[in-house]
Amino acid sequence: MRFAARTWGHDVKDLLQYVLDGLSIGSVYALVALGLVVVYRGTGHINFAQGEMALFSTLITWWLHDKGWPLLLAIAVSAALAFVGGALIEVSLMRPAGRRSPFAPVIIAIGLFAGLNSLSGLLFPESGQGLAFPSLFPNDPDDFVSIFGANWRIERIGVFVVVLVITALLFALFQKTKIGLAMRTVANNTESAKLVGVPTNKILMFSWALAAVIGAIGGALKAGIDANVSIGSMFTVFLLSSAAATLGGLDSAGGAVIGGLSLGVIESLVGNYPEEWPGSDWIGIETKTAVAFLIILIVLLLRPAGLFGTARVERV
Amino acid sequence: MSMLLSVRGLHAGYGPVEVLHGVDLEVHEGQVAVILGANGAGKTTTMRAVSGMIARRGEIEFDGTNITKSPPEAIVRLGIAQVPQGRGTFTDITVEDNMRAGAYVRHDHHAVATDIALWYETFPRLSDRRSQKAGTLSGGEQQMLAIARALMSRPRLLLCDEPSLGLAPIITKELFQIIKRLNEQQGLTVLLVEQNANLALEIAHHVCLLETGQIVASGSPEVIADDDAVRRAYLGT
Repeated sequence: MRFAARTWGHDVKDLLQYVLDGLSIGSVYALVALGLVVVYRGTGHINFAQGEMALFSTLITWWLHDKGWPLLLAIAVSAALAFVGGALIEVSLMRPAGRRSPFAPVIIAIGLFAGLNSLSGLLFPESGQGLAFPSLFPNDPDDFVSIFGANWRIERIGVFVVVLVITALLFALFQKTKIGLAMRTVANNTESAKLVGVPTNKILMFSWALAAVIGAIGGALKAGIDANVSIGSMFTVFLLSSAAATLGGLDSAGGAVIGGLSLGVIESLVGNYPEEWPGSDWIGIETKTAVAFLIILIVLLLRPAGLFGTARVERV
Repeated sequence: MSMLLSVRGLHAGYGPVEVLHGVDLEVHEGQVAVILGANGAGKTTTMRAVSGMIARRGEIEFDGTNITKSPPEAIVRLGIAQVPQGRGTFTDITVEDNMRAGAYVRHDHHAVATDIALWYETFPRLSDRRSQKAGTLSGGEQQMLAIARALMSRPRLLLCDEPSLGLAPIITKELFQIIKRLNEQQGLTVLLVEQNANLALEIAHHVCLLETGQIVASGSPEVIADDDAVRRAYLGT
């Protein structure tokens, strides 16, 4: 599939549109990347199951909505279930595994990835073909505002704003609350966190619960953008979000947000690369993800800790 | 003077390796007690066993409460704070947030703010650097921060694990003066582990000698300093 108009070299208003599209989907990457960062900071591991946890929650949201619940309520209930589920995963799987070997949690997370994907297919067989998913925002063909000549769809703006608000709330949690301070101490030095009396196990449990909630919300937003949720839809989100988190520097919440947004914009711009420009044979909608990854590779070669990650330099 | 900490027959170690083979130790309220010992004698292990960081058996009693099986957060709540070896400051967060983290077990927000201001008076250099990340501080400043952070929990017993490690002699001297003042002016009880025996003996009320996981001698600093073996091993005279 190719877009008819791949013209960002000609027209500023098209360019603006692609940037906004990119910011919108990029904000979902940013959100899921934040979920990855929350777990990484606590455990030092990438949660390979983040995407499938989001998928499972999104399917539950779909199911509740299909039963006639209002979409917002369905998302809220699904997020609450995700909170409990995330905490249970940490207590019953990750913690016992981590006691045996530092690498066991990674394997468990990969197992969880496969398990949750199969379970989703088992419980929602129609999700193989894709289930129609409603948007949280007005999404008719004429639901857009024109700014600077570009048509900005309400739905895209809505997703972007919702993610910004959630991100702001998460930052307030990290920086302004006691539990946020505890999370930061655990991320920095678990031993010392214990010594000042932080119940580090409870903090890890909370981190997993929070990451699961973030996934549930991110999944619903992504499904809303696609108007569809299928068994494979969260895998790409996970890939791009983990790339976004790596780009930002895995332990940096701000980096995850900037990484996610830039990745979305890069993807959108590459996908709409003008056909008459050099290299358009291999830069375009089919290769947008590959090109995005190539750019990340180059950034990581230049800055191994990511754009905003902590390269640990300490005076002694 | 009443007994604040009593350790009897303490065994502890790491996995299958036992480091402490029945340590007996007493710290009286208002005292500065010092554990002297060579590298590998088990000084740090003793500290970590008391603060609940490692598996241990035997009997540890703090102010009449048996804490042998308590987790670290419960022990902090009871009033024991540890300054770990190598300082253990939270390097990625600000000095001020380090201080707040030290008060994690407390719920009296206003008093916490008052205490932070109070410790800034004692450690003016921390006050100057309150919004800097702790990792950017010098070694001496980080050691001050580690002590201030421990004091934020309003402990009755402060465990200090080799505070002089890696510090210039003049900084170490300043540090020991601060510990001495805390003990004399605020009645803080201190259990100190040190390799710098000369300095430690100057502020100690009671000294224990730890060798390969057992206390082999204990007494007043004068008595310990008079022991020929101790002089040869720790005082270099």
